[in-house]
Parts: sequence; structure tokens; C-alpha cells
Amino acid sequence: MNRSALVGVVAVVVLLFAVAAWGVGISNDLVTREQAVSEKWAQVQNVYQRRADLVPNLVETVKGFAAQERTVLDEVTRARASVAGLKVTPEVLNDPQALRKFQEAQAQLGGALSRLLVTVERYPELKSNQNFLALQSQLEGTENRITVERMRFNEAVRDYNTALKRFPGSMVASFRGFREKAYFEAAPGSQTAPKVQF
Amino acid sequence: MAATVALAQLPVPPAPARRINDYAGALTPAERDRLEARLAARERQSANQVVVAVFRSLRGESLEEFSVRLAQTWRVGRKGLDNGVVFVIFLDDRKMRLEVGYGLEATLTDAVAASIVRDVVAPRFREGRLADGIAAGLDAIEAAIAGTYTTPAGRPAGRPAVPGVALVGLLLIAATALPLGLMGLAQARRSRRHGWTGGGRGWSLADPGDALGWPGVGVPGAGRPGGEDRDTFGAGGAGGAGGGGFGGGGASGSW
Repeated sequence: MNRSALVGVVAVVVLLFAVAAWGVGISNDLVTREQAVSEKWAQVQNVYQRRADLVPNLVETVKGFAAQERTVLDEVTRARASVAGLKVTPEVLNDPQALRKFQEAQAQLGGALSRLLVTVERYPELKSNQNFLALQSQLEGTENRITVERMRFNEAVRDYNTALKRFPGSMVASFRGFREKAYFEAAPGSQTAPKVQF
Repeated sequence: MAATVALAQLPVPPAPARRINDYAGALTPAERDRLEARLAARERQSANQVVVAVFRSLRGESLEEFSVRLAQTWRVGRKGLDNGVVFVIFLDDRKMRLEVGYGLEATLTDAVAASIVRDVVAPRFREGRLADGIAAGLDAIEAAIAGTYTTPAGRPAGRPAVPGVALVGLLLIAATALPLGLMGLAQARRSRRHGWTGGGRGWSLADPGDALGWPGVGVPGAGRPGGEDRDTFGAGGAGGAGGGGFGGGGASGSW
């Protein structure tokens, strides 16, 4: 083997090594972004959990003043139960269908809660009850947190998805098995008026 | 690109160097300095950071969205502690919000924040006492964080219905305040000392570079007697401030 062939081999090895390092760098970058999505998702779940935790207390308080409002109270309790039964593994993020289901169940609880608060308008005594006022402001605060965390989650997903789809990322992603993640959408369930049972 | 973003959302002013930020020119310099000094003194004691921002109009923007954006942009509170509170006030909309950092959510809960807004600040604002309301609100915030806040007694905590007389009074106040406010605004524009003055009608988006110059703010210690650098906060401020995180906790209210 002569000298120039050796130089050629070394050059190829060095080049391969550089390409591999470059690919690993991009892969790591995707991992970091994916991690950010998971973190934000945990926050989203936290705030939804926080809302669900408020429900029993709220229902009890309202019952004390407006026990006859059974329909809306039952609806809230049922929606709370179906939210509690949701499986929310990080796998949900890779499956737009599963995320939509999660979102719909949460929207149902949100809708039921807002109807409960509308109903409560008819009970001035309840509305001036300290305990209820505290719960109401906690609920409002939690709804606001949900909006904030959902927005941040979507930003993280957008960031990740963009890195995934653009050129060097898309190449690395295809053979490292990175998948596009689902966004929260403006829930169709929260817009349309829900069915009222009589 | 920045222009389209700015058109969709009310722009957040750059992080200020002070704690009392009056973009509406509604506080007198004396009131502002007094509140500022109190906040600075408290911050040295407790390390918690409370910042106030007074604006004219939301211009249709959502209060909650703007408030959390402002809190995140200004990074009120210390990094790692997230112990910041932002008190945002919109005079024309008669709306306010306490935005509470992650680290203070346990003591300054949504319920307590709502009570402060409803029972402490709003009654004073309704009487047109802006500086008083802010001062009382700041006291209440401090008490809440210390765990000593109680709902003011002697009146039901529910918001009383506004009786007709009060409504007429409010309209009268508004009727006199409006020309006065406009005069004040014109004057402020001349003197360029009262914070936000661009366009004469609140937020002007026509020329962000110049109109959003935020005269009078963002200058450490400017116009403040004995303004020391360690009393400032924000990106340029010392003392580890300017890294707090917010997650939408707090409460909104109107008056």
C-alpha cells in the first residue's frame, strides 16, 4: 500500500467520524427538544389535576346551598370521574387521536364547571359564601393556568416539530425514530353548547 | 415580522429598572417615589419582588394573556425562587390583575389574591384613590405572604351590586377625569417624564422604534432621589433578580 492510499483511507475515516459526530449532535438536539415537550406536558397535567382536585370540594359547597341543581352537579361529578379515568402516559403525545380524547374529556369537565358557575348565579347566599368565593377564585386561577400551560406546551411542540421537519433534523429523525408530536387544538367541544338532560 | 406580532398583541414594554411603572401618568412623582421606596425596602427584607405596572388601555387584548406575558418578559422575582408578583392595572378598562410567581402560589393563593383585589384594592379604586389602592394592595400582598392576611371585616366579601347613586358618581368622575386625563397626557408628552405617552391615545403601533421608547422608564435611578443601583431590578439590575417564572397564578378583578 502506498502512501497516498493511506492518506485517502485516513481522510475517509476522519470524514465518516465528522459526519457521525454531526448526526449525534443533531440527534441530541432533538432529544433536548423532546424533553422540553415532556416537561411542558407534565405541567399541563399538573394544572388539569389541580382543577380536578377542586371539584369535590366545589360540588359539596354548592350542594349545601343548591342541592336541587342535581343535573348540573351530576354532570360535573361524572365529567370529573371520566377525567380521572384517563390514561395519560407520554405516549399520548405521539398519538393525535389519544391527545384529542384527553382534550375532549377535559373540555367536558371545563364546560360542566362553567355551567355550574352560571347556575350558581341564581343563589345569592352561595355567591356571598366565603368558602365558595375562595373556591371560585381558585377555579378561575386554575383555568388561567391551564391556558398558560397549554400555550407553552404547544410552543414546545412547535419547536420540536420544526426541528424534526427541517433538513438536517428530518434526516436524523427518520432513522432515529423521532416522531412528530400532537398539539392542543382549540377544543371543538368547548365551543358547542353541550347536551342538557331533562 | 415583528410588526405583525405587535399588531396582534399589545406590546410589553422592555423590562424596567423600577418597581412602580406608571405608563399612564396617573401617579404623581411623589406618590410613585413613596411606593417605590416602600417596595425597595421590603424587597431587601424578604427578597420577594413585587412590581406594579399602570397602563391606560388593554386595547381589546385579554388581561390574563397580557399579564402573564409581561411577567415572563420582565422576569420578576429571583431565578430558582420564582418569588415575584406583578400587579397590573388598566385604568380605562377598570381592570387589574395580580400575577403571582410559582414560588409564592402557596401563600399568595388565587383565593387570597382574589380577595385582595376585590376587598382591598377595588373599593379604593372605585373612589378614585389610585395610589391608596396600590399601597393597600401592596400591604395586603406582604401580609398574605407572611400568612397574616385576613379579609377585611365589616362587609360581605361578595362584590356589592353597584347602586344607582354610585353609578352616577362614577360617571361624573369619569366625565371630569377624561378631560383632565387628556390634559395630563398632553403635558406628559411635552415633558416626557411620565412614562408611556406615544400617540396620545395609549399604545401606538405605527412606529415602534420611536413611539415605544418608554421615556422615563428603564433608566436606573432616574428622577429618584438616592437611587442606588442595587435598588433596581431586571436584566440590568443587581442582586440576582430577574429570573422568576410565572404560570398564570393569581387573580383578576375590576372596579
